[in-house]
Amino acid sequence: MEPVSALRYEAVSFAYPGAGAPALDGVSLAVGAGEGVGILGPNGAGKSTLLRLAMALLQPTAGSVAVAERGTRGLHPEDFAGVAGFLFQTPEAQLFARTVREEVAFGPRRLGWDEARIASRVDGVLDALELAGHAETHPYDLPAPRRRLVALATALAAAPRLLLLDEPTAGLDRPGRELVRAATAAFRRGGGAVVAVTHDPVFALEALDRAVVLDRGRLAADTSMTEALAAPDAPLPPPPYAEVAARLRLPAASPRFEAVAAALAASLGAQ
Amino acid sequence: MARVSAPAEEGLVGAGLVVEGLVFRYPGAETPALDGVSLECGRGLVHWLFGPLGAGCSTLLLAAAGLAPRHTGGTLEGGLTLLGADPQRDAGRRALLGRVAVVTPAPALQLSGVAATVEEEVAFAPANLGWPVERIRAATAAALARLEVAHLAGRAPAALSGGELQRVVIAAMLVLSPDAWLLDEPGAALDAAGRRRLRALLREEAARGALVVVASEDADAMLGAADRVVLLDRGRVRAAGAPEALLAGDEVWREGPGSTSIAALARAAGLPAPHPLTVEEGVARWSR
Amino acid sequence: MSLGPGLAERAHPFTPIAATGAITALAFLLPGPWGPPALYAAVVLLAAATGVGGAVRTAALVCLPLWVFLVLLHGVLGDGPATAVGPLRLSRDGLALAVAQAGRLGAIATATLGMLRAFRPSRFLDATAARGWSFHAAYLVVATLQAGPRLRERAALVLEAQRTRGLRYGGSPPARLRALAPVVLPLVLGALAEVDDRAMALEARGLAAEVRRTPLAPPADTTADRATRLALLALVLAALGWRLAGWLA
Repeated sequence: MEPVSALRYEAVSFAYPGAGAPALDGVSLAVGAGEGVGILGPNGAGKSTLLRLAMALLQPTAGSVAVAERGTRGLHPEDFAGVAGFLFQTPEAQLFARTVREEVAFGPRRLGWDEARIASRVDGVLDALELAGHAETHPYDLPAPRRRLVALATALAAAPRLLLLDEPTAGLDRPGRELVRAATAAFRRGGGAVVAVTHDPVFALEALDRAVVLDRGRLAADTSMTEALAAPDAPLPPPPYAEVAARLRLPAASPRFEAVAAALAASLGAQ
Repeated sequence: MARVSAPAEEGLVGAGLVVEGLVFRYPGAETPALDGVSLECGRGLVHWLFGPLGAGCSTLLLAAAGLAPRHTGGTLEGGLTLLGADPQRDAGRRALLGRVAVVTPAPALQLSGVAATVEEEVAFAPANLGWPVERIRAATAAALARLEVAHLAGRAPAALSGGELQRVVIAAMLVLSPDAWLLDEPGAALDAAGRRRLRALLREEAARGALVVVASEDADAMLGAADRVVLLDRGRVRAAGAPEALLAGDEVWREGPGSTSIAALARAAGLPAPHPLTVEEGVARWSR
Repeated sequence: MSLGPGLAERAHPFTPIAATGAITALAFLLPGPWGPPALYAAVVLLAAATGVGGAVRTAALVCLPLWVFLVLLHGVLGDGPATAVGPLRLSRDGLALAVAQAGRLGAIATATLGMLRAFRPSRFLDATAARGWSFHAAYLVVATLQAGPRLRERAALVLEAQRTRGLRYGGSPPARLRALAPVVLPLVLGALAEVDDRAMALEARGLAAEVRRTPLAPPADTTADRATRLALLALVLAALGWRLAGWLA
């Protein structure tokens, strides 16, 4: 029996009204539970469009999209709020509550959770993103990187099975990027699927294991992330440590940071 | 903890950015964002303000630009002069008009909002300063070319991507041939090619004799571009000097914002300081 | 049929603004009950002829509920002889008043929306710069005018985000407005904060410079433009004179 996919695109095409060429042309893709998929490609390749189709923010002009095997045709984003979470590119535009806690509680409350469950869930999410100390702060009083984390918290709040992230690490500092990576990894360990549009080579390599490369609206490649970043025409430059590992021909288990550091220590210790 | 002041290197001392015991508090804040900062940044060099979130790098730039506390509110004590003028006073601001470039991380907020094309956007500042039309057109074309966005001249700003917009915004400052550049995470919206172009541009501007001060927490991006680094933490200057020296040690990890990815790799592999900072240095150090 | 597509956009920027001002004045000066509706009809033709015909429909949609309200309000509450309209008995004087006010509303709404459609910020700013007026003041006017579309963009973004978190947004317009309620105040605050940030960023680009701004492509102020504006002024003065004469007589 085929496992339930978290997200499925079947020959999806999309054209913005009035535009010449289609933004997406016949893209097919299935994402399973626990997977971390990076959508990569140059500007204008259709990456954000693909992501928005996943939560019925857009409807395909051809083909179909299904979240947890439920088609998006005729439905709206709010119909998927219990099963998917979306992190937009400009979080400043979506925060509106008086405190961080209220902001994060908004989603579960809309879904009718009882207050005790909401409180415990909100506390858990805020702790994971190191926002507990800012729970009573007004979101606009926080610096931009922390506001991004608040927005991520709101996407995680309703315990979705699918996380859709649009440039989740853009503009964050190193500790902030690490928090996003850790939150993504924890979400995947819990069985959730992650689909992220990203230009950040470190996030792509550390948090995601599969790369879907788009080129002018078409699916150009669907491989493992390490393969995609090692390819000669890779859509992103490799992180510096991966480059060092490749040039030194380190026998690392993977090009990820921990593995490279271990291999480096071993190879130098053996000298 | 002893307060460290960071004296200027060679360069036109006194005509750059001079800060003396600067204390700044945002409105309603108990702890000051800047807690007695003293430093001098000379013209002709690229100065890098390096610190974790909340260290005060952005606030220091806002004060240097005369925007804090005027626009942000709050209280300011101590002395600050930029290009010999006081940006907190009207006379100083008049003297600095059109000579100081200020670039922030979000391109959309730096647009005039009234330009129909990219060319108009870049021409906005010189037009405000009353330059003659021919001079505006020539300077605009040159600035667009240097940021490699001349092909976007006729496009509407709203149609551009974040990276393209940030290049346009930088061009909109470059057009003035400013004497001072104050940049806050200017590479945040840029892709790898854009960041390379920006690094080269900053070096060219410093070579031309401008004062260049960049606040950034991205050590990998800034290492090759900066002549001098000032480490800031919790509103104070912790150390200042040559980036290669300061970033290769362990103190910058224990008490500061960390260093480059390769230095992080060396530490994670249990290797002792001084650490290599770039891919080339790492490969050279560690190949057999 | 139209005299010149895009005439409203090609004219000197001050001309459509002057026209809107004149139409607003005339809407109040022309005697009812048929003066204002006649003006409305003239404005509709003018909008179609100058290339901003789309504003007619938008304005009509905006005015429609208000027109119905006016007819019912004045018709039901008015005194004097009445006519039967379906199940209602509506006062004739009341209806006359409603017709005048509806015409006034239609004329002003159509003129304003038409003017906004043809408005090009950079041409307007170049026009003010060519005359040596304060650029800072003109910029503030333009920024305010653009606050509307910007607010709408932000509202769309916030709405999108809230829908992905479960906000139900469907059904009738009142239901949609209710759904937006918690978002309105923060939206406005956010828009204001953005204006502030933007003004801060533009200081370094000489927004508040005391020098006369160089117009980059000053729009031509043709004889036709100046003649039109003079004629509009004359029309308004004539109407004013006529009304004054009527009152004094």
